[in-house]
Amino acid sequence: MASPGSNEILLGPARPPRRAVLDWLLGLWGAGVATSILYPVLRYLIPPELPEAATQSANAGLASTLAPDSARLVPFGLAPMIVVRTAAGEYRAFAGTCTHLACTVQYRADLQHIWCACHNGHYDLNGRNISGPPPRPLEEYDVNVRDDQIVVSRRV
Amino acid sequence: MTTGQLRSWLEERVPVGDLTEALRHKTVPLHRHSAWYYFGGMTLFLFGIQVGTGALLLLYYRPSAAEAYESVRFIMTRVPFGWLVRSIHAWSANLMVATAFGHLFSVLFLHAYRRPREITWVSGLVLLMLTMAFGFTGYLLPWNQLSFFATRIGTDMAASLPLVGEFSVRLMRGGKEVTGATLTRLFGVHVAILPAAVTALIALHLFLVQRHGMSVPPSVEDESRRSGRPVASMPFWPHFVLHDLFGWTVALTLLAALSAYYPFELGLKADPFAPAPAGIRPEWYFLWIFQTLKYMPPSLFGLNGELVVIGVIGAAALVLLVFPFVLSERVRTFRIVSGMAVLALVYMTLMTIVGFVVSRPTP
Amino acid sequence: MNARASGLALSWLLAIPLPLTGQSIEEGARLAFQDDVHASAGLTCSSCHAGPSSRGFALPRIEVAPRCGKCHGDAAYMRQFDPQVRIDQYAQYLTSGHGKRMSTGDSRVATCSDCHGAHGVRRVRDPRSPVAPVNVAPTCARCHADAVRMAPFGREPKPFADWSASVHAEALLKRRDASAPTCNTCHGSHGATPPGVNQVANVCAQCHVREAELFRASPKKAIFEQIGQAECLACHGNHRIEHPTDAWVGLKDPAVCATCHDERGNGATTITDVEHSLGNLNRAIASAQSVLERAERAGMLVDDGWTAQRDGREHLIHSRVMVHAFAAKPFDDMARPGLAVAQQAERVGHDALHELQIRRRGLGIATVLVLGFLVTLWFKIRSVHAERPPR
Repeated sequence: MASPGSNEILLGPARPPRRAVLDWLLGLWGAGVATSILYPVLRYLIPPELPEAATQSANAGLASTLAPDSARLVPFGLAPMIVVRTAAGEYRAFAGTCTHLACTVQYRADLQHIWCACHNGHYDLNGRNISGPPPRPLEEYDVNVRDDQIVVSRRV
Repeated sequence: MTTGQLRSWLEERVPVGDLTEALRHKTVPLHRHSAWYYFGGMTLFLFGIQVGTGALLLLYYRPSAAEAYESVRFIMTRVPFGWLVRSIHAWSANLMVATAFGHLFSVLFLHAYRRPREITWVSGLVLLMLTMAFGFTGYLLPWNQLSFFATRIGTDMAASLPLVGEFSVRLMRGGKEVTGATLTRLFGVHVAILPAAVTALIALHLFLVQRHGMSVPPSVEDESRRSGRPVASMPFWPHFVLHDLFGWTVALTLLAALSAYYPFELGLKADPFAPAPAGIRPEWYFLWIFQTLKYMPPSLFGLNGELVVIGVIGAAALVLLVFPFVLSERVRTFRIVSGMAVLALVYMTLMTIVGFVVSRPTP
Repeated sequence: MNARASGLALSWLLAIPLPLTGQSIEEGARLAFQDDVHASAGLTCSSCHAGPSSRGFALPRIEVAPRCGKCHGDAAYMRQFDPQVRIDQYAQYLTSGHGKRMSTGDSRVATCSDCHGAHGVRRVRDPRSPVAPVNVAPTCARCHADAVRMAPFGREPKPFADWSASVHAEALLKRRDASAPTCNTCHGSHGATPPGVNQVANVCAQCHVREAELFRASPKKAIFEQIGQAECLACHGNHRIEHPTDAWVGLKDPAVCATCHDERGNGATTITDVEHSLGNLNRAIASAQSVLERAERAGMLVDDGWTAQRDGREHLIHSRVMVHAFAAKPFDDMARPGLAVAQQAERVGHDALHELQIRRRGLGIATVLVLGFLVTLWFKIRSVHAERPPR
């Protein structure tokens, strides 16, 4: 027991300084661990630049930069897609892989056809295989223009 | 405002004072088998991790056959730390099943199922089965080749049940075949039905554990009786909790390390019309059943071989559920239980290893 | 064509009396005729056969084509069966190598029944017809791969074996690509004649349009015409057309350019430039492939890399076509963007591997924090145990 007049009796038992330090250190490191958990979670919650996976639909660039009677090749997932703007101004979109031996097709303004350079396969502007080796038409997609943005989506 | 004032303000409105007081007095027995006491809490912690990472995944995942795979791919490639959340969820699922089994076997070997803890035992067993159901339903959600075909095989096993076989398969698959309907159905089970059921059962399980206190193995009890000394114990708060916290922190770090060094693979998108890839097998905790089924002859004593296996496993499950109620409290009985548990463990481990080895695709 | 009908046709080709089948020739013919397209059109034996002669009912070989041509060359008659059918087969036959010889009385060459069958004639598009696209080459090979038959005409029996080893045979028979060329695609069917040296390219150009266009715009066309060298054939062969490889471009064996060119002559710089450019593109693509695969094996997903790699491969395919311009600039204009895209693909792969390192570093930092925490916690646990030791 402490002698009368000592501080310990007056103030009551206080936590020994070493234990206080330990608790403080624990709190500090604990905060560190908590931060290393919270930081990834908070970053995760903030939506990324590209807000969703290109599964059903994909952006195909600006409408204003796609002139009539021309086309553009863009990726749809891992495969190419061809977006054609006809001479009349209509937008059409098809899978860009030739149904013959999987070369990437292109637009031929002189023929107003979609053409595959590998073995001279021709598709009309409805995607139908009209000449050459391709055995099947090109899969067609839906095209919409929203605020100058061309959006292509799979047909359900 | 001091902590004391805050606490009394809170206590007046949310009176949990007597509960917390009881917890402060709770003790945990300390003996040479005490390490096994941590398995239950670890399983609970991992469940918490699953709920947390699962909720995060739900913010970006799309449960349809057309979008599921791409959405998981999106999480792993475009969402910041998406790779971490998804890999932790996948690894933690496996770890949780492992700790749940560890918890089960430790309870068996330490005979904690004895009276009056039979209901705790039953609730725990059901929790284990629900955990495996979590694994089964969750596995399909990325909609990749491995999981699609594994689900097909897994649900096929139910077809051999008598009378209800075909109906069960339809119920599980949401149709005759594994399709997008299966994905949506298993998704609903995985994120709503199972969590509700498991939460309720965990609440019951924890309540019972708290009320009954931790069971002491018969061998330790006997020793204490013979020596006249009471079984050593340590306070639940803060000792046991701090120990738990230590273990949980290690587990979380392990999960993060696994995610950084062994990210969970995604594989190829499911193609129902492609032939099943070589080496298709269910997840490791179903592998022993799968392998046993493979070794069964097509018919045994005139019955369908698969049916026999399912029957035997079903009977074993029933025995497991019921035996604590009918057990007599004799040393010999405990030895028999331990013996059977050892046999079961050895068999399951052996079949799992064999399953891994034989399903490895030939180079 | 069933075995009996084939046996019948063959027996006339080989002038051996019908053995082995153990039935009369007429019976065999009548049975085979049941499957014949002429039978379903309502024709009977007497539609083609006049009546028994000293040799039975069989037509003499030189009379077969005119007999078939009597109906098949009559537009008004054929229209009732198939309004779209061609009626110039006999006229074409007369211009063919086979037809010309047959007109001189030499019946050792093919006539209608040799290829189409005599009594079990099926439509060309029927896969069982001997002149269905996949069956044409073996049908021609019956004679043209037979050394004994070809010897009197001074022809080598090589074409069938050569064609069978070609990419076209692989496309037709293995990939079931019905657009792949077989004998009649290049030689004609009824007007079968080998294309002349100057006409070969027209045949290849039917499908390989771009290569033909480029070749014709290139200096090579005039040179080849001058020296009487067949286009396409000089490098690719005619029947045994195999997969060209990038090693074909160069000045040393096994390069095909080396057949005529050497380091000193014209075109040596162009050839070397194209060779190097092609080599660089190939190396860039291979390098990107290995990095992307490494990243994937390490668990990273590299979709953007694969998209760029696909683009690079497309450029490689187009560059190989551009070889036929035989000039450095057009080739380079195609190869250079391909190189850029392949390098981009490789960058994606490296970025992914780098990202992996960043993740591990992040893990390292988190682990340091965790270790600090765990150490402190351990001390805390010890102190708590010291304060209130277990009873």
